[in-house]
Amino acid sequence: MKNLKKDCFNPFFSHIYVEKSVRNHARAQKILAEFPSAEIIEISYYKDVFCRSRQSHPIQHRTQKLILAARQGTLLYEGAPVCQSFGNQYFYYVSCAMNCIFDCEYCYLKGMYPSANIVVFVNLEDIFAAVEQMLEKHPLYLCVSYDTDLLALEHIIGYAQEWCLFAARHENLKIEIRTKCANRSFARSVVPLPGVIYAFTLSPQAVIEAFEHHTPSLTERLSCAGEMMRAGCPVRLCFDPMVYVPDWKQHYEAMLAQVCRMIDMERIVDVSVGTFRISQDYLKNMRRQEPDSAVIWFPFQRKDGYCHYPNDLMEQMECFLTEQLEEKISREKIFRWRM
Amino acid sequence: MVYIFTALYCEAQIFIRQFKLVKNQENTWLQEFYNESAEIRLAVIGVGEIAAAAAVGSICALYRPAPGDLLVNVGICAHTAKNDGIFLCSKIIENATGKTFYPDMLYRHNFCEGTLVTGMLPWNGENAAPAGNLYDMEAAAVYQAGSRFFGPHQMIFLKIVSDHGAVGEVSRERVLHLMEKYQDCVLDYIGQTAAITQTGSCRRNSPHQEEERLVETICADLHCSKAMRDSVRHMIRYLTLAKIDYVSVIQDMYEKKLLPCKDKREGKLRFEEFKERLF
Ligand code: SF4
Repeated sequence: MKNLKKDCFNPFFSHIYVEKSVRNHARAQKILAEFPSAEIIEISYYKDVFCRSRQSHPIQHRTQKLILAARQGTLLYEGAPVCQSFGNQYFYYVSCAMNCIFDCEYCYLKGMYPSANIVVFVNLEDIFAAVEQMLEKHPLYLCVSYDTDLLALEHIIGYAQEWCLFAARHENLKIEIRTKCANRSFARSVVPLPGVIYAFTLSPQAVIEAFEHHTPSLTERLSCAGEMMRAGCPVRLCFDPMVYVPDWKQHYEAMLAQVCRMIDMERIVDVSVGTFRISQDYLKNMRRQEPDSAVIWFPFQRKDGYCHYPNDLMEQMECFLTEQLEEKISREKIFRWRM
Repeated sequence: MVYIFTALYCEAQIFIRQFKLVKNQENTWLQEFYNESAEIRLAVIGVGEIAAAAAVGSICALYRPAPGDLLVNVGICAHTAKNDGIFLCSKIIENATGKTFYPDMLYRHNFCEGTLVTGMLPWNGENAAPAGNLYDMEAAAVYQAGSRFFGPHQMIFLKIVSDHGAVGEVSRERVLHLMEKYQDCVLDYIGQTAAITQTGSCRRNSPHQEEERLVETICADLHCSKAMRDSVRHMIRYLTLAKIDYVSVIQDMYEKKLLPCKDKREGKLRFEEFKERLF
């Protein structure tokens, strides 16, 4: 019974589950055309596949499947209390895709979703309509890459590009595209827009290697961010989440030195600083899925349903980075997350 | 452990022979075979959804499958067009309710994939063609009963086509012949998948014996309450996973006579001190 062959897993997106109602949707057709040899399985509702009980994130991550569906019900969500609003009054986010091709051990998506498969909602036009409706009432700061990494999926779905075109038509809309990706082809062809902020999440290389599986290196992320800045795009740097590792000070110091070597700090829009924190319920799910992950087994402190590093450590880590950053950029540009 | 479920004894014979399974004489309500060293348990669950659900439920409740175990449902089925072939089911529809089930499609294989419809009655080829191309009488029930114990990544449904709507004409000999015909690829696939599933679950670090012993000693020496014992255990788990050298800190505390403590109050202080030295 023990003759394990190498490369036994199906390739990435070997199977694509498609809701019957979107089978002929133009975006679904375009995405399906990218995977001519995928097995297409017709489904009634994405949750029939996505929300099955007892799914295994680690195993599914080895061979993620794609689910194409229509987003129904709520299309815009108010920003969660653990998320940074960067001083914007009307802070919302949309979920046009769920889950990520990267595999960060501390990613809250592992605690939030029952599956590691990726859902793409193809009815982007309905989300656009909901945004337009809200824009009639007030301006909007909208995060479009929260429950996924849109730029990492760009070559398949092209949603970042669609959001840019949409943002270009709406002056009172500011969007944030958050990424750990180093999508150079996107960077090369990008048309800079004042209302589209590219937010690069940065971590020390030691943290990337230990916990941010399959993500680009710090150098790659920085050179992509630098390229976008030179093209004229507003770029934000997110040192959030800061992740505790032994010798964290040296690692974060070295990271910041590299950031300053590669990025013109004068020209960045702003930065965010925040240590890792997560909802208690998500953490519980994550620990069940990843019983051997050091980063999520940290003995966190609990407050109001959220888990975070002990106050002293949290304070030390955030202050350390904030103080270092204050030497490079003005204080108003530093957004520190607070409980 | 691999749990194999077949509806008929003649579907089970290749496994009984191949894995040298012996009958569990204690099981008087269904035919059950096993080989502990090969880590195989097989049950002949009978024909139809109710028989299948009852049998799968009772076997699983009795043996409590582990995260590294596998459920395999193998057997014959009808096909809307073909008379032969083997299929791995990617979608199972329960005819009576319209409910649909999706086993994970994780591993490479050489089978065709298909949608299987499970019905209460045999499909005779004359009544309306089922929504899928395959038709059987157990899989949806096996999935539903099995899903109480197994995740979708642990369930495999392999169906061998015996007819296209004339199950009454399928003899025992034909079933035996078909099972033998596909025996190699079925056994190979089960073997591969079982090994991967088990390896995947072994990755899960349960606390090492040595670590457990250490936790017990420290907790005793700190005079831990139940809650503090949990914190100590969690802390040690984290430190082990993070590869932080906590053992030398503990040794140092013993050398400096900070451990063992005289009471619970001192124990609390020492534990705080221990944490401070590490972070
Ligand atoms: S890149 Fe972001 S969304 Fe993707 S796995 Fe990592 S933390 Fe999660």
